[in-house]
Amino acid sequence: MGSRTASKDIITLRGSATIVSEFFGYAANSILYNRGIYPEESFTKVKKYGLPMLLTQDEGVKSFISGLTSQLTEWLEAGKLQRVVLVIMSKATSEVLERWNFSIETDAEVVEKGVIKEKIDEEITTGNNVEKGVIKEKSDKEIMREIQAIMRQIASSITYLPCLDEPCVFDVLAYTDKDVAVPFTWMESDAKLIENPQMVKLHSFDTKIHKVDTLVSYKNDDWDEQ
Amino acid sequence: MIQRTPVQKKRRPDTVLTDHESPVSDRRLVLYETPAPVTAVDPSDEMVCTYHCRQMVKSDFLLALNNAENQVAEYEAKLAMLNSEFSQSEDERNKYKDRLLSLEQELDASKGREHALQERLLKEVGDSMMRYKDQVKRCCELEVQLNKEIESRKNAELSITSANERSRDLEGKLHRLSDSSEREKNILKRQLEHLQDDSKLSSYKIAADLERMKLRAENSEKESELLRDQLNDLRIQLDECLHEKSGLEHKLLTYAAAPHESASEDNNLVKHLREQLRNYEAEVQEARKLKSYHVNTELLKEKLLEEKGHREKAETELSKLQEVQLHAQNLELELVSWKSLLDELPDVSAVTDIPKKFAALQNETIQTMLEVGETKAHLKQLEVALEMSEDKRQHAEKESSLAKEKAGNAALEVRRLELMLSSVTEERDRVRKEAIMLSKQKIGNEGGLSTETLVKDMESSLVERENTIKELESNLHEQREVVHRLHDELRLLNEQLSTEKRKVKSLEREGDRLRSEISLLETKLGHGDYSAANTKVLRMVNTLAVDNEAKHTIEALRAELKRTQAKLQAVEELKGQSDAANIIDGGIPEKLAQLKGQIATLEKREERYKAVFAEKISVFRRACCLLFGYKIVMDDQQRPDGIPVTRFTLQSIYAQSDDEKLEFEYESGNNTNIVVNDYASQPEISHQIEIFIKKMNSIPAFTANLTMESFNKRTLS
Repeated sequence: MGSRTASKDIITLRGSATIVSEFFGYAANSILYNRGIYPEESFTKVKKYGLPMLLTQDEGVKSFISGLTSQLTEWLEAGKLQRVVLVIMSKATSEVLERWNFSIETDAEVVEKGVIKEKIDEEITTGNNVEKGVIKEKSDKEIMREIQAIMRQIASSITYLPCLDEPCVFDVLAYTDKDVAVPFTWMESDAKLIENPQMVKLHSFDTKIHKVDTLVSYKNDDWDEQ
Repeated sequence: MIQRTPVQKKRRPDTVLTDHESPVSDRRLVLYETPAPVTAVDPSDEMVCTYHCRQMVKSDFLLALNNAENQVAEYEAKLAMLNSEFSQSEDERNKYKDRLLSLEQELDASKGREHALQERLLKEVGDSMMRYKDQVKRCCELEVQLNKEIESRKNAELSITSANERSRDLEGKLHRLSDSSEREKNILKRQLEHLQDDSKLSSYKIAADLERMKLRAENSEKESELLRDQLNDLRIQLDECLHEKSGLEHKLLTYAAAPHESASEDNNLVKHLREQLRNYEAEVQEARKLKSYHVNTELLKEKLLEEKGHREKAETELSKLQEVQLHAQNLELELVSWKSLLDELPDVSAVTDIPKKFAALQNETIQTMLEVGETKAHLKQLEVALEMSEDKRQHAEKESSLAKEKAGNAALEVRRLELMLSSVTEERDRVRKEAIMLSKQKIGNEGGLSTETLVKDMESSLVERENTIKELESNLHEQREVVHRLHDELRLLNEQLSTEKRKVKSLEREGDRLRSEISLLETKLGHGDYSAANTKVLRMVNTLAVDNEAKHTIEALRAELKRTQAKLQAVEELKGQSDAANIIDGGIPEKLAQLKGQIATLEKREERYKAVFAEKISVFRRACCLLFGYKIVMDDQQRPDGIPVTRFTLQSIYAQSDDEKLEFEYESGNNTNIVVNDYASQPEISHQIEIFIKKMNSIPAFTANLTMESFNKRTLS
């Protein structure tokens, strides 16, 4: 006869925004490492999402990403962020070579009402040979598992993405609502699109407040075209 | 053949048959009784007659006896025959009984089987009715689903027509957009031309300004050279004056040693000294002017540097202008491409309409995406319903096949039962006939009554069986009709299923088409397209590249600045020590060596002059202090508004503390103002300031008065 005690995984809008922005920070670092934007020796290993994640030690990149994630958190809490795109461009020609697209769907009700979404696990009792069904929406473990899957896919993307033979730089674009006030460290920009790209859809993860879909589009390699 | 009804015997006269006894029926032997003796006959004759009669009678009796014996034998034979026949009939009767019993058993068994079959058939009928009801319900549900699908298909067709209409509208709008884009392109071209002209004009202006500033710088350099020459002359004069001063001092000393000489000469000397002092003061003022000019030259140099910076900026702007021109060319190419796009795009007349059009298109795509999502969901529902209907169809087919099998089995059973019935009826007829025959035979014999009752019972039972068989037949007929009806309904259901299959296939084709549209729209979304009406794209200003570039540029600019500063210092030194302004070009090594030698000698001279000047100045200051009673400290400062000012700090030799200091600011132009400090803000001092400086505008009177007062205080204390 076994029993499991009840536990509540409460997730708030702020918590979900933190999870998403943190995910973006780690994903950006992973992309920079895997695509060779910065040298390997400038990265250190840390444990996150049950995986060894690589974080840059370049102060400039660090400060850039930290400022970015703080602003993304703010926009996510306001429900104003629609998409975040990490763009990889050629340093010499400023041509866009890759776009890592993270689309975000926000639960408008949560943003409006500030409702706390509870995720509850009910007891499973088998004392009287009566098993109640587990009413379980999602747990933090599930979210971490989904994020882990995405990180694995990012790491394995080097198998099909074309090689970046030339020095490249990266930039981050944020697709926000039209009524968002532009902070003084941000400015409006073009979408930096790729002409006739190849696209690969990756996994997504859902915190029940924010759903993040990942997609990478890249310029057709000349070898592939030939 | 055994006669059932034996022939009646002929009655003999000799035989005495009682009425009560029936020899035929009982089949008993009739004893012959001797006849009664005849009376009333002659005794002799009577004796002969009687002998003859007796003999005749005896013969007759013998004959009759023989006949009777023959008859008895015959009768016995007949009896045996009858007995045998009777036994045979009894055997046959037993057989028929047995057969009847067996038939009854079989009938019972068949009855039981029929009952069981009936029950089974009733159950099957009930089950088939239930299944029929279920199938009817499912048919109703499927009809409802069909209606829903038809409605959804109609809605989809309506949406398709509306989308087609919208697409036509969009095409018209794009045509309009193309025209407006051409106009705006022309406007942009004109603006570009204006900008280019403006940039050229500004570059010319900047070049002209640069030249002017260059000329000014050259003039200021020349002025600075002249001023330096003047400064050198003044320094020489100062040296001469100092020499004269030293001579005068010697003279004064000699005059001090010989105090009895004439007062007029002293007065003359004093006058001369005063004049010299005035000259020195004038020279000091001139030196100050020179210093101010020097400061102005430095300012001019700074302005020159600024102008150089402006020139560099103008040059960079020129380079940027070229970049702008390139950008304009790119823009023109983009405009051409946009124009071609606009030609392709319908319903676009002006450039301003393009974003609206794109926004509208994106809204439409979003709406179509939503619709596609809805149709997707609907498709999924239909797929689920299709799967369910297919399962139901398969189940119904299975059930129909099972029902068919059961109906076949029931039909087979019915046929078997019919065959059995036919065989039973044949047997019954045969038994009936035999029973009739037996009854007929038994009527002739005495023991026939029981068989008739048996036959009657059997007949009655047979009649009952026939009735039950008829009932069963009627039930079977009804069940056949039910089975036929079920078959018809199954056929109808199959037809409906086939139509639904066709509809499902068409829906699947629509679903595939919608999926392809969804994939196209997803590619567009993944491409990065967005609705400008609802979305804006932001990026960080201080990106790493910009920071790095800025850092690089800042470092490069700093290095350049240092180099230019070093160059300027070298140039200044060269300009200050040589007369030729073209030394900066410095391409000739001999001249450079000469100039460097000159620079070195001039630097040494300057240092010497500075040292001498410092000595003289210190002597002068001490003299002033002794003569006028104030220690004077001179300090050059700059006000917040940029005006250079010389600050003099005066401390009386009779001051009782170090805080008793007066501060004066001297501007170029002979403006001397007192600076209010703690000491000056004291009531006594401020009162004197008001009287002597503000009212009488005389600083020497103030200082003299202050000196007297402090002297009096000192001496009195």
